[in-house]
Amino acid sequence: MCPLSLCATGERVKVEKIAGGCEVRRRLEAMGVLPGEEVEVISCHCGPVILNIKGCRLGLGCGMAQKILVTPVAPSR
Amino acid sequence: MKKDNIVIALAGNPNSGKTTIFNALTGSRQRVGNWPGVTVERKEGKTDLDGRQVTVVDLPGIYSLTANSLDERVARDFIVQDKPCLIAVVLDASNLERNLYLSLQLMELKAAPLVLVFNMIDEVEEKGMSIDLDGLSRLLGIPIVATAAKKNRGIQQLKKVLAERIGLDALTPADIPFRYRENTEFAIERLSSRLEKDPVLGQSSPSRWLAVKLLEDDREYLARLEKSPLRNALLEDLGVLKKELEKSIGYDLETALVEERYGFINGIVKEFVKTSWGLEDRLSLSDKIDKVLANRVLGLPIFFFLLWLIFKLTFDVGGFFVDHIDRLFTALGSQAATLIDRLDAPSWVASLVEDGIIGGVGSVLVFVPIIFFLYLAISLLEESGYMARGAFVMDKVMHAMGLHGKSFIPMVVGFGCNVPGIMAARTLENPKDRIITILITPLMSCAARLPIYVLFAGAFFAKHQGTVIFAIYLLGIALAMLMARLFKSIFFKGEPAPLIMELPPYRLPSAKSLLLSAWHRSFIFIQKAGTVIFLAVVAVWCLASLPLGVAYASQESIVGRIGSLFAPLLEPVGFGFWQAAVALVFGILAKEIVVGTLGTLYGAGEETLSGAIAAQFTPVSALAFMVLSLVYIPCIATIGAVRKETNSWFWALFTVAYTLVLGWLLAFLIFQGGKLVYP
Repeated sequence: MCPLSLCATGERVKVEKIAGGCEVRRRLEAMGVLPGEEVEVISCHCGPVILNIKGCRLGLGCGMAQKILVTPVAPSR
Repeated sequence: MKKDNIVIALAGNPNSGKTTIFNALTGSRQRVGNWPGVTVERKEGKTDLDGRQVTVVDLPGIYSLTANSLDERVARDFIVQDKPCLIAVVLDASNLERNLYLSLQLMELKAAPLVLVFNMIDEVEEKGMSIDLDGLSRLLGIPIVATAAKKNRGIQQLKKVLAERIGLDALTPADIPFRYRENTEFAIERLSSRLEKDPVLGQSSPSRWLAVKLLEDDREYLARLEKSPLRNALLEDLGVLKKELEKSIGYDLETALVEERYGFINGIVKEFVKTSWGLEDRLSLSDKIDKVLANRVLGLPIFFFLLWLIFKLTFDVGGFFVDHIDRLFTALGSQAATLIDRLDAPSWVASLVEDGIIGGVGSVLVFVPIIFFLYLAISLLEESGYMARGAFVMDKVMHAMGLHGKSFIPMVVGFGCNVPGIMAARTLENPKDRIITILITPLMSCAARLPIYVLFAGAFFAKHQGTVIFAIYLLGIALAMLMARLFKSIFFKGEPAPLIMELPPYRLPSAKSLLLSAWHRSFIFIQKAGTVIFLAVVAVWCLASLPLGVAYASQESIVGRIGSLFAPLLEPVGFGFWQAAVALVFGILAKEIVVGTLGTLYGAGEETLSGAIAAQFTPVSALAFMVLSLVYIPCIATIGAVRKETNSWFWALFTVAYTLVLGWLLAFLIFQGGKLVYP
């Protein structure tokens, strides 16, 4: 498991845990970022991250990306 | 709300095209943007459904009914308390998985019958997807209307369906096909049967919804529970049920409930949406653009370059028209003078028309083209989808300054007008971030202040006019950042909330919608020139002509005396003459009045006006005047907006005080420093 902020561009990962407070988690959940969800890292430069989640682009600030713990998934295609 | 008034609420995710649907239904012309939270105000409109007048309320764009941000609370409170007789949920049909979440929550809430509007259906078709609307509608027991609001497709059908659903019971359909897993359902049932017996809570919302929200630890519903007479017994029940459930699930209940909802939606999408390859094409183009525009290294320079380009184009293109309009007004002034002369009207009439109206209002109206182009550029940023990227790119910088990435949107909107800028701060979830953003937004140089810079920079720095004005804008941004840092360390210690925002795919906005939006906003400016500014300018003219017998606009007139009263304060900053003082004092009513007043006092036309200014100011004191105009006390409308949005007189008065002190100090430094360099 590693923080999302450390992932490489193009990687597919699975959300394992959200290590934030209640507020942070609620916001992420409302946007569809849940433990177990698979997401694609569209761009990541050790900081702000753009995610592909359910076909939608989500921008996350550094702080937020550090709070999301993920594991890599083997590419499906 | 009156009983005979039929109210339909429009709910939906940000960027689902809700505002476009609203416009199509009500025919009103509002702006359509592309960043989360474009609907910062509650908008209402009327529409005719089957011969009946119906009020449509456009709710803020929200993702869920969890009441995380102010927008969500506003929308939820409206649905629960104002009880609209129908809710139309607008969904981005090309993105059902995320958009259905809100619909499902509204189905659970059962506050009103629903109609689902699958908007942007054209994009679904373009992507080669197809949705089995009939099947889905039958499953959910809710009518679904497919629309492409931008192309006006499906609107008539939507009106027809809405008309049919008016007057249905709030509980239609009585049952929804969604169930939580068995243990959860058991807990919900037990809790809701208890809640039904409660004399206070049982009345307010359906008990099943209440039970779900309480299990989810929703703060507002927990607070309501506090007021119940059965409070202790209920809380105890809730505690036991939650513990049992969490034990069986293995992690916290709230996440589990959210997951179950998404699971259901996932199933629906798999069942009813057929996709084919090619779907990702548009998104991947958007991603490619983002590789450059939202790049860590290139993002910021590109962002500033774009801002610079906008100002450059605004002034070069707009300036061209300004010269022509100015000539028109000068001609109009002399025409009016000859006409009045021929009519043998008393000389005061000639003075009122020439000095007062044409000199005052005219000197403000000449700037309409520049303001139009500025708004055009802001609309382009909003509608293309770049605004959200701007917030994203700026997040790191903003963070370092104690602000939030999203604070950037109110700031850019503030370039047009501070009032909507301050209102746009509503999308910030954290109250501390919100107040700081509100406090610094008045430092963003709004369109109304622009005429001042154009006039002064034109008179003194004609060769570098664009650069000087751009520098003033940058100064505003820099001051805003510094002040944010300062306020953060004094009033609001702690980290700003982390950024999370949707990045809608880039779209090419239609020329028509851009022009309409820019025109709509510029028209407000023209309207203001015709009303508030007109009255203020006539008032200045009257005060400049009174008491009777005094020479017009002389120091003995009433304005002269008012100005002389304040002038000593302005002596140390380089313009201690009464005309400048009068302009600044009246400018608090609306910033356009600063130039309007100078026009009234010095005579008509930009040409004459700049001549008069060149005689009284030096380049250094002109610079000090521009900076003071940028910073000192925001206009009354802005002060009102700060008061309303922070819900506190303290912050409103604080804004007045800090901007006045800061503005004066800066002007003082510039003027005194300038005197040392160029004695």
